[in-house]
Amino acid sequence: MKLQDLLTQLFPAGCKTVTTGWLVSGEAEVAGKTVSVIGTTEHTFIGVREIVALSEKFLDIAERFPGRPIIMLVDNNGQRMALDEELLVLPEYVAHLLKAEQVARLAGCKLIAIVYGNTVAGGFIGFGMGADRVVSVPGGNTSVMKLEAIARVTKMPLEKLQELATKVPAFAPGCENFFKMGGLYEMWTDNFPAQLQRLITSDDFQDLRAQLGRERGGRQAAQSVIDEVLRT
Amino acid sequence: MNPISHISYLEATARQRIAGLLDPASFREIIPPTLKRVSPHLGLFGAPVAFDDGAIVGEGRLDGKEVYIFAQEGKFRGGSLGEIHSAKITGLLRRAAQRKPAAVIGLFDSGGVRLEEANAGEIGATEIIRSIFDAQKTGVPVIGLLGGSTGCFGGASIMSCCCDTLIASEEGRLSVSGPEVIETVMGVEAFDSRDRALVWRTTGGKNRFLFGTVAKLVEDHIPAFREAAIQALTVKQPLLPAKLKQDLERLKKRIDLYGKCSDAKQIWQKMGFASEKVSEMTSEELTTARDHQAKL
Repeated sequence: MKLQDLLTQLFPAGCKTVTTGWLVSGEAEVAGKTVSVIGTTEHTFIGVREIVALSEKFLDIAERFPGRPIIMLVDNNGQRMALDEELLVLPEYVAHLLKAEQVARLAGCKLIAIVYGNTVAGGFIGFGMGADRVVSVPGGNTSVMKLEAIARVTKMPLEKLQELATKVPAFAPGCENFFKMGGLYEMWTDNFPAQLQRLITSDDFQDLRAQLGRERGGRQAAQSVIDEVLRT
Repeated sequence: MNPISHISYLEATARQRIAGLLDPASFREIIPPTLKRVSPHLGLFGAPVAFDDGAIVGEGRLDGKEVYIFAQEGKFRGGSLGEIHSAKITGLLRRAAQRKPAAVIGLFDSGGVRLEEANAGEIGATEIIRSIFDAQKTGVPVIGLLGGSTGCFGGASIMSCCCDTLIASEEGRLSVSGPEVIETVMGVEAFDSRDRALVWRTTGGKNRFLFGTVAKLVEDHIPAFREAAIQALTVKQPLLPAKLKQDLERLKKRIDLYGKCSDAKQIWQKMGFASEKVSEMTSEELTTARDHQAKL
């Protein structure tokens, strides 16, 4: 969905956010309490320059507003794919963003990511999946790689992949599949403010994704393997 | 180097690397291949499975100290992150947060997320990252080693950069998008993946070392990795706001200084190195040159 529509529906009590190009930031009211907002828009690519801007926001909020929840609005077309980005060591930048998110978490800020646009591969890893809870709203779309590209790399016929995609959530793009794998905590369709308030006020910070993947049938092995390693 | 004493990390299997890194016969594998925890997804694609799913995890001793270790087997489906593969590593890191070994050693050798189980792999990568942070939070350092034949790409590259210390050989390539992927998506003029010298200059351990991403550059020799890992056992990089700000300034400055460069040679020259010679230098020579440069 469009950024403006999301902001209106998510924060009926109003929000003070500024959108500069691809970057969204500011604060909003949720049930009488202030939350911080950091988002991306226009299907931006996540490269080294985007990352330093995002990292700076997380570090700034962690320092100035510890304990305040951070709502991450997610829309990107993945990591910026270019030689000059990789020359500068892009993975170190993405890791820095994740560390900045962790610093905010350690400062008591609960991180809630809302996927309202695209989100792809390294872009989603860096900005979105590092949150405590990741949810989607209508118009959200998650993917790692398009089926056409998977067909090229795995040398499987595209028709076969398209057929498998209807029944194997492990690889096919789309929020429903990601949800079945436990990668999305919830898929919201309406009543966003009440749902957001519920997540913000919950004390639950634990990474439950493997457990959810098992309950929903998409990832039946991960949690039991984790448990097996812990028990041994 | 004496060829008889040279034990290549690059050419070794994941199990050989573990055996050579840890104190002799100290490794105990958790969920060994005899338990046959194989990928539940690969069969649907008619693809072969491995009894360890390309990830070996366990515990052992390094210089007498108890450590946990995981190793990706690049020779099985490019060391890719599948559901079981990732869960074994996540489990090991969570176990470390509970039981507090001296360190967790990660031997990265991975093309990234496994496409046949892309969603499982991508979620798995971020579960691993969260578990790295949880281990670090309890004071357990995570040490990453880069020097495998597959390299370290995609989700694995991001995981590795979350480690407290990264140790690499020149052969240890590190980037988010692999050269082949950039070429496929953006075209050959964006990145010619067949130009091996260009690939190594761009993603190889030397470039990563000169930027400071990699803390210690070693030769492609398992005992050299072992020695560096022992030195790193006591190095912790707690995620403190001041440290992260400092890192951010460093990363910003890197963009300002080198953001317009299109070849590592330009970067090395700007850094003050004889750029034509960097590729020829041993890890020791380059380390000496860098230390000398830092004093100027």
